[in-house]
Amino acid sequence: MTVDVSDDELVQRFPGEPITHDNAEHYRGRLRRELLLNRCGECGRWHAPPKPICPDCWSTRVSAEPVRGDGVIFMAMFLHRGPAAPGVDYRVPYPVVTVELVEQEGLRFTSTVIGADNDAIRIGTPVKLAWTERAGAPLPVFELRDQP
Amino acid sequence: MKDQVAIVGASTTGFVAKNSARSQASFAAEASIDVIKKCGLTRDDIDGLCGSWPSAPVLQSVLGIPEITWSGNPVIPLVNHIATAAAAVYGGLCEVALVYHGAYRAAWNSGSALRDPFRRIATPGLTDPQPGPETMSGAVGYTGWASRYMYQYGVTREDLGLVAINSRSNAVGNSGAAMRDPLSMDDYLSAQMIREPLCLYDMDPAVDGADAFIVTTAERARDLALPPVLINAAVLGQVRHNEEDQTVSLRQNGQQVVIETLKAKSDFWIDDIDVYFPYDGFTPITLNWIDNAGWCKPGEAGAFLRQHWDEKSQRVLIDNRIPVNPHGGSLSEGATQASGHIREAVHQLQGLAGDRQVTDARRALITAGGFFFNSQGLTLHRM
Repeated sequence: MTVDVSDDELVQRFPGEPITHDNAEHYRGRLRRELLLNRCGECGRWHAPPKPICPDCWSTRVSAEPVRGDGVIFMAMFLHRGPAAPGVDYRVPYPVVTVELVEQEGLRFTSTVIGADNDAIRIGTPVKLAWTERAGAPLPVFELRDQP
Repeated sequence: MKDQVAIVGASTTGFVAKNSARSQASFAAEASIDVIKKCGLTRDDIDGLCGSWPSAPVLQSVLGIPEITWSGNPVIPLVNHIATAAAAVYGGLCEVALVYHGAYRAAWNSGSALRDPFRRIATPGLTDPQPGPETMSGAVGYTGWASRYMYQYGVTREDLGLVAINSRSNAVGNSGAAMRDPLSMDDYLSAQMIREPLCLYDMDPAVDGADAFIVTTAERARDLALPPVLINAAVLGQVRHNEEDQTVSLRQNGQQVVIETLKAKSDFWIDDIDVYFPYDGFTPITLNWIDNAGWCKPGEAGAFLRQHWDEKSQRVLIDNRIPVNPHGGSLSEGATQASGHIREAVHQLQGLAGDRQVTDARRALITAGGFFFNSQGLTLHRM
C-alpha cells in the first residue's frame, strides 16, 4: 500500500517527534506499519538512527528499508514516571527496551514491550515486532517471542 | 600545552535544590566576582569568557567587563569549558579567561520549577510537543546502561548504592551542597524508584547555583594571589557509535578514549594521585569510570568500593588515602555538570579545601561526563 503523505501531514501525525529529511521515510513507514531503517545501497550496511550518508562507505545511496523486527532485549528499564503520552500510565512502571535486531550486530531499536508482565521483560529475551497506536498514529513496539 | 596553562582560582555560590528567587545570571555573576577578587584581578583584566549558561554576551554585560578578545560557549560538562579556555589562552586568543557555569532548575526538571512562571519563560521549547517515552536518548540512557551493567556483571543495586552513600557522607561537611543528610544502604534500597533500576538517590538533583574559574598562562599565574594549579592533560573522548542506544558496549565508548589519552599524555596516573573525581550525575557512570580507569577489573567497581570502604566515616578512602568526590559530587552538591568536581580539585590542590583538605594534595584526576558523547578527563597538579 502506498501512502502519499505530505511533510506537513507527517509532522502533524507524529507531534513532538524530531522528524528530519533523513528520517522522514521511517515515519512514513510507520503509517504503513512497516519498520524502516536506513541501509546503504552500495555496501549493504544498516545504520540507526537514520543518517544522510553511509557512515561506513560514504555512499549517498542510502534508503529506508524494512527490517523484520526480530531481536533480543539488550537493555531494559521501567519508568515509574516519564513524559505525558496518550495511553501511557506510569502507575504500572512503563517498560522501555533497546532491542538488538537480527539484521546486523549492534543495530538496535528502542521502544516498549506490550502484552507481557514486567517481570518477564528481561535482557536476553527474544522479541518480535508488533504494532500499537499513539494518538491515532501507528507505533512500532515489541512483544515477547515465546509467550508463556 | 602541558603545564603551560593554569587554573588560578575557583569560587562557588553553593547550591540549593529548590527554586531560588534569582536568575541564572545572578548566580554566575556572584561566583565570577568572587573568583576575580580572590585572584587579585579586576574586571579590566578579563579578556576571555567561557561558559554555557548564561551566554558570554549576557555575562559580560552583567559584569560590566569592558572588552574581551575571545569567548566560547562550549557544551557541558565542564572539562570542555576548561580545555577550550586553556587552548584559547595557550593560543594567545586571550590571556585571562573567566570560565563560569550557572546551574539552574529548568521548568522540565521538577514540578515546582514548572510552577515558577519565570522559569517557564527561561526554559526554551517548554510548550512544544514532546516525543513519547519510548527512547534511550538523553539522561534515561544511563538507566538503560545501568540495566546492562547489572546484567553483564551479575551485580545488584547495592553496588550503585555505595556510590550514593559515599557522596552523602562526604557532603555532610560541605555547606554548599544541596543534600547533606547521611544516607544508609537501607535508605537507598527503600527509596522511590524513578527509572528502574535507578531510584531517587541514583540521580543528581536539579539545583540553583554557580561555579567560576580563572584560567591563564602559567607565567601570569605566578604573579596572582592564589597558588596556581597546572593543567597537565585534558581530553574530550568520543567514539563513532555515540548515540545512547547504539553505543557498542560498556567497554567501547568515550571513557576508554579518555583513559588511554590521559595515560599517554599525563605525567602521572592513578597510583600517583591524591584525590579522585569520577563523575556521578548518575551512579552507574561512577562505577564505569572506576572500572575503566583501571582501579579494578570490569564489573568490579562495587567490590572495589567495598574493599576500600571506611566504615567509620561511611565513605571510600582508596588505600586509606585517596577520597572519591570529597565534596559530595553531583549527587549531593547537585547537577553542576562537573563544575563542582573541578572546583573541589582546584581547592584541594591549592590547600583551600578547609575541613575536607587532603593532606599535602598535589595531584588530582577528574573523569567527567558519561559515556556517549560527553566523556571527559582532566589531570591537574600543584605548581
